[in-house]
Amino acid sequence: MPWWLVALVGLGITALASAFATEGYSAIFGAVASGLGVTLSVTLISFAFALLLGLGLALLRVAPWRWAREIATFYIELVRGLPMLVVLYYIAFVGVPALASGLNMLFSPLIQAGWMGPFQSRDFDFATRAVLALTLGYGAFLAEIFRAGIESVDQGQVEAAQALGLNRGQAMVHIVLPQALKNVLPSLANEFIAMVKDSALVSVLGVQDITQMGKVYSASTFQFFETYNVVAFFYLCLTVSLSLLVKQLERKLKRPTSPS
Amino acid sequence: MKKYWGLAAFALLATLSLSAQTAGLPDLKGRTILAVTENAYLPLNFADPKSGKGIGWEYDAVTEIAKRLNATLIWKLSSWDTMIQAVRDGMFDVGMDGISITDERKKQVDFSDSYMLSQQYMLVRADEKRFSDPKTFAANPKLLVGAQSGTTNFYTAVDILGGDEKNTRIKLFETFGASVQALRTGDVDMVYMDASTSKGFIGANPGLYKTVGDPVGNDNFGFIFRPGSDLVKPFSLAIAALKKDGTFDRLNMKWFVEYKP
Repeated sequence: MPWWLVALVGLGITALASAFATEGYSAIFGAVASGLGVTLSVTLISFAFALLLGLGLALLRVAPWRWAREIATFYIELVRGLPMLVVLYYIAFVGVPALASGLNMLFSPLIQAGWMGPFQSRDFDFATRAVLALTLGYGAFLAEIFRAGIESVDQGQVEAAQALGLNRGQAMVHIVLPQALKNVLPSLANEFIAMVKDSALVSVLGVQDITQMGKVYSASTFQFFETYNVVAFFYLCLTVSLSLLVKQLERKLKRPTSPS
Repeated sequence: MKKYWGLAAFALLATLSLSAQTAGLPDLKGRTILAVTENAYLPLNFADPKSGKGIGWEYDAVTEIAKRLNATLIWKLSSWDTMIQAVRDGMFDVGMDGISITDERKKQVDFSDSYMLSQQYMLVRADEKRFSDPKTFAANPKLLVGAQSGTTNFYTAVDILGGDEKNTRIKLFETFGASVQALRTGDVDMVYMDASTSKGFIGANPGLYKTVGDPVGNDNFGFIFRPGSDLVKPFSLAIAALKKDGTFDRLNMKWFVEYKP
C-alpha cells in the first residue's frame, strides 16, 4: 500500500474514532449523512445525462458537416469558458424561466385548447435546476474527452472499414467508438470524481446535499470546525475510493489483451 | 367519561377562541402557499440538531399566520444567496430569513410590515481590550471587521466606518460561520451579529468570545413576496393581530430566551 493511502486511511480512522468517542460527532455524522443520498443522486443523474450530451456533442464535432462542427464547438467553448458556479446561477435564474416560456410557446396550441396548464418556472425545483446545470456544464467537458478518444483511433482503420464496404456511420459505431470508449474510460472516471466534488456547488441553491447539510447543522449548533471535518471526511471517502477504482481500471486496461 | 367531557369542553373553547382570533382577517379559503427559508439562521429558522426538522421563530409565526388566514402551507428550502431572486421569479409565495426591509430590496420584492426589530452587537475575542464601542473601533485603522456581503451586518459595518462600501477594513465572508472562524483565528477583530446568534456562538465556544458596546442598528425584518402579490396585505394584517394578542411575545420568549442551542 502506498504511503499517501496509509496516511489518508489513518486520518479517516482518527476521524471515525473521535466520532464514536464523543457524542457530538456522531450527531454530526448523522446530520451530514442525511445529505449523502442527494449528493450521490445529483451526481449520478447529472453524469448519466452529461455522458449522453457529451457523446452527442463529440459526434457533432467530428461530423462531416461544417454546421454541426460549428454549433458543437460554439457550445463547448462557451460552456467550458464559464465557471461552474456561474453556469449554475445562470441556468437556475435565466435558463429555466426562459425554458418555461419557450415550452409555453411550443405547446401554446395545446394550452389554449385547455389540454394542459401553462408551464411555470416553479414547476422546476432547485434540485432539477442543479441537475440541469451540472449536465449542461459537464456535457461540454465530456465532449472534449470523447473527441480525444475518437481521434485516438487510427484513421487507417476507418479507411480500411470503408474499403470493406462499411459507411461512415457504421465505421464509427462498430470500429471507432468501441476502441475510443475503452481509451477514455479512465478520463471519464476522473471527471466523475471531479463531479462528486463540484456537486457541492448545488448547495448555493439550497439543495440539501452533504455541503448544505453541513452548513445547516453548523448554523444551529455553532460547531463549524467539527462539522466541516465530517463533511470533508464524507467527500474523501467518496473520492478516494473512486480514485482507487480508477487506478485499478487503468491497470486492467493497460494490460494488452493480445500481442500487438 | 369525565375525560371526554373535558376534551369536548377544550375543543369548544379552542374553536371559540380560534374564531375570535381570526375575526377581521381575510379568509384565503384553504389556498396553498409555498413558503421558503434556508434553515441556517438560529433561532429564526434552523434545523433541529436532533431531528433535522426545520424549526424556529419564523416557522412558528408563519404557521400561525397561515392558520389564521385559513391557508395551507407547504415549506420549501432554498439558500439565502438565491432566495430573493427565487421569490421574485414566483418560485415561492413567501420568503423569510430575517430579511431586513431596505429600499434596495423593495425594488426587487414586496415586503410585509415588520415582524421583528433586530439589533446588532459587536462580537469580539474574549481577550479584546483595544476597543469597546463603534467609535473606538473606527478610530483604530488596524482593526478589521468581518461581514457577509449583502447582509445587515455588512451595512452596519459600512455605517460605523464612514459609509464607504469598498472600505478595505471590511473583510467579506460567505457565511456567519466563516466570519466567526476568521474572528477566532485573528483574521478580523470584530463581527456584527444579532443578540441570539452571538449568544449561540458564545455558548457553544466557552471562553472564546464576548460582546462589547451597546447594540446598534434598527433593522426591521419583513417577509418577502413577489412584486404585486396579493398576500402582502393579509400577512401584514395577521402580523398586526399576532403582535396585538401577544403571540409574538410568546414566540420571542420561546425562541430568544428559553431555547438553548
